[in-house]
Amino acid sequence: MKLPWNRHRERDWQEEIDAHLAMRERWNQQAGMPPGAARSLARRQFGNLLHTYEDIRAVHVRRWLDDFLLDVRIAARSFRKSPALSSIAILTIAVGVGAATSIFGVVDPLLFRSLPYPNDRQLVSIGYFGPVDSNEFNVVASYLDWRARQTAFQSMTSMRAGSQCDMLADDTPDRIYCQAVEANWLRTFGLKPALGRDFTPEDDQPRASPVALISYGFWQRRFGGDASVLGKAVIIDDRTVRIVGVLPKSFEMPQLGPADVLMPEQLNPALPRAANASSFLRTFARLRDGATIGQARAQMQPLFDRTAKLDVPPELRKEVRLVVRSLRERQIHDVKTASWMLLGAVVALLLLVCANVANLLLARATARRRELAVRVAIGAGRGRLVRQTFTESLVLAAAGGTAACGLAWALLHIFTALAPEGLVRLNRTGFDARMLIFALVASAGTALLFGIAPALVHPRAESLAGPRVVNAAGTLLRRILLSAQVAISLVLLTSASLFARSFWKLESQPLGYRPAHLITASFTLHRRQPRATGAQAALFRQIEDRLKTIPGGGLAALSDSIPPRGSMGRPYSNIRIAGHPPVAAGGGMVEFRWVTPGYFRVMEIPIVAGRPFEASDRGSGPSPLILSETLARRMFGLENPIGRQLALDGDGQWCPVVGVAADTRNNGLTETDPEYYRLRMDNSNLPRTAVALFRTSLDPAVLASSIRAEIATLDPRLPVKIETMETRVAAFRQQPRFLAWLVASFAAFGLLLAAVGLYGVLSFHVARQTQEIGVRMALGATPRDIALQVQRQAGLWTALGAMIGFAGSLAVAGMLRGFLFGIAPYDPVSLTASLLLLGASAMIAAWLPSHRASSVDPMVALRHE
Amino acid sequence: MANMRPADTLQGALELLILKSLAHRPNHGFGITLHVQTVSDGLLRVEEGSLYPALHRMEKQKLLRGEWRKTENGRRARWYSLTAAGRKRLAEAEDRWTSLAEGVRRLLRFA
Repeated sequence: MKLPWNRHRERDWQEEIDAHLAMRERWNQQAGMPPGAARSLARRQFGNLLHTYEDIRAVHVRRWLDDFLLDVRIAARSFRKSPALSSIAILTIAVGVGAATSIFGVVDPLLFRSLPYPNDRQLVSIGYFGPVDSNEFNVVASYLDWRARQTAFQSMTSMRAGSQCDMLADDTPDRIYCQAVEANWLRTFGLKPALGRDFTPEDDQPRASPVALISYGFWQRRFGGDASVLGKAVIIDDRTVRIVGVLPKSFEMPQLGPADVLMPEQLNPALPRAANASSFLRTFARLRDGATIGQARAQMQPLFDRTAKLDVPPELRKEVRLVVRSLRERQIHDVKTASWMLLGAVVALLLLVCANVANLLLARATARRRELAVRVAIGAGRGRLVRQTFTESLVLAAAGGTAACGLAWALLHIFTALAPEGLVRLNRTGFDARMLIFALVASAGTALLFGIAPALVHPRAESLAGPRVVNAAGTLLRRILLSAQVAISLVLLTSASLFARSFWKLESQPLGYRPAHLITASFTLHRRQPRATGAQAALFRQIEDRLKTIPGGGLAALSDSIPPRGSMGRPYSNIRIAGHPPVAAGGGMVEFRWVTPGYFRVMEIPIVAGRPFEASDRGSGPSPLILSETLARRMFGLENPIGRQLALDGDGQWCPVVGVAADTRNNGLTETDPEYYRLRMDNSNLPRTAVALFRTSLDPAVLASSIRAEIATLDPRLPVKIETMETRVAAFRQQPRFLAWLVASFAAFGLLLAAVGLYGVLSFHVARQTQEIGVRMALGATPRDIALQVQRQAGLWTALGAMIGFAGSLAVAGMLRGFLFGIAPYDPVSLTASLLLLGASAMIAAWLPSHRASSVDPMVALRHE
Repeated sequence: MANMRPADTLQGALELLILKSLAHRPNHGFGITLHVQTVSDGLLRVEEGSLYPALHRMEKQKLLRGEWRKTENGRRARWYSLTAAGRKRLAEAEDRWTSLAEGVRRLLRFA
């Protein structure tokens, strides 16, 4: 136990004993001993120094500990005497700290906990950033130059955009996630295989014999954790691959994608630059020791400028820039603001708890003024009493904190159950030591904060003179605390109602298509299936024809992607109108889908001009086009687009516009991007993924087996995912719903705390004023007057808090802008509703005490005290 | 006196020696050992290992007052003196010790 106060004390003890030894030594010398012998004898005569120090320490520390234990006992006793107040205080702490801890548990892995790589702060994601992707990417040609010439990083590594692949091991097929990575992948991230060996540069040569590392989970799941898997030959997408190692258990891909198997990506510098410039990568790097991201970016800029000129198509060049950002930033970018916002709500809630408990303790301190005054009168020092007050706060915090841990554990389970699928890392959250520490620190911190207020009110022996010496400072402090509570809870309420309103808008938002009774079946062709343009289109056509035969299926269409998900967009500047010069870059992206003729009918998207696609359009020649209203308006203004010719993607093929379709929410639930549709022709170069759409009243499960049976006749191993459109749409609502739900529960807790606080303080006030009320009633005041007086007090404090809270709400609402849909941040409805709700709660909280005040019997009250 | 345990007695004895020695004059720890040894003609010796913890405990109990002062040789040492409570305690301890000694003496003579 080396507390600071102990350290200087111990120096004192040592000096005292050193003095003793010196005096003894001198004494021995005077008795005629040589100096050395005199010293050693002095030491021997003293005996065991260490034991002596121990004994002295025991004298002091025991005393300190005894005092503390005594204080704890006094505190416990006095809390037992007022069980209502104590349980409200403990409950308040439990709720506040518990909620705060669970939220901390959710955001901790996102914001604070280190990523599962050694020296994770050195890891960055680097690449081109442009409108085609929400994350930075790279192309092989540029990357090879960067890797060869860069000086900014210790190491740079890359992966290809991953995909699903088919594995055949021991004659059992599996559809799994394969990722192609560079040989130095694990080394760059500072990891080693759990079993077997890492990739070598030889493995990464083009045409080297294929090897693979498998993930720990896949090893357990598929091979039962058998070490003999090393050296095993499996077939992946028709190639024989040898398994050489198993990834560490905690391994995760830096972009958080799924990975069952890693294989060397085998970049080929010998290919023509154009080929390597259209082959995409994700690139990551490790900073040099002590280097910053800013320095690395500055060093990479010249290299970037050079390769951008070579590899980025001219029309996109102005729209791409270099991005170097930390791996954490890359991973949590989407939820970062939300996480900080939740953390803000947590702090607000903890402050509310502090204000509330401080207020309760203040009220109690005033009630105990006589007791404390007696202790002062019999000689208790100010310091002793302050210590006592803080011990009481700590006892409360300890009780509340313990309950809080239980609550946090329960809440965390509720969160994980309610949270949407994609919420980063939430699935990996569990109640752990870090949360426990947070709960401890939060309860101890709040204890210190709410302990300050009662410690400020210092009792004086003079207050023994009369019971009605009003402690003005204490009363003022209580009012300020109460107004602060009202203000904080109003801010929470406004945020919650903004979220709720925004979510409600989102729910009732017309999508531009009708999700009810729509069933979707998505599938992706195997890599080994035909790649030749015509053959692939023909295979899709075959599948389409088969699916049409399902009785009651009502198949109308096939598309490569469907809303609410966005499509593989194209830059606006890639579209040319015949007879017009190309438009400048910077026009953003346009959604684009390959559809069959029935698409608009099955989705119930109205054709507002021209005509839909027809089966007869599907022969050869350029595919006809249908534009969305937004795109048509943007390109042609008020002119009629029908019959105009457009060139897409700079391939020089002119396609006729045959129709204009109504707008849909085509990139999430809120965005209406410009969009064009191309007809799936028999010679189209289609993506390998397709979604079949059925409008039917059949049970999805029944339809699913028919769909699977039909597809199985063409390819028994093609996996098909069947979902209703409503499920797909609901997936997009999950995250806003989760956020709205979280903030709303915070606001509910906050409102409850503020109401309890108001109620507590008013009741206390009424109890203190019983005698005064009695006198006033005896002098002719009606119960109504008394009730009004109490309510006026409540109204005054609440109004003051509400004014501050209103200003705070406006400030916070501005920060929430990015989360809101369909309403302005200064939404009058939300602000008014929150104010009304707060006012109503305040009125209810004030009603009981005011009612009690008005029913005071003057005769009883005057005899009181 | 009948309920006095040996440990209490011994600790009581050390306390008595300290109190008595300091009643003579304020002193530091080394001075107390010397004083006890000389006054008892070398019959009693205070163990330093017990002396200092005892001094600290008695100071905590407000029987003694400790302060840093210079010795006659100009060295800093911690000097102890009796407080009012210490003087009162000395009187009690002397009574208690005398009656204990008397009791033991009678018992020895009788046996």
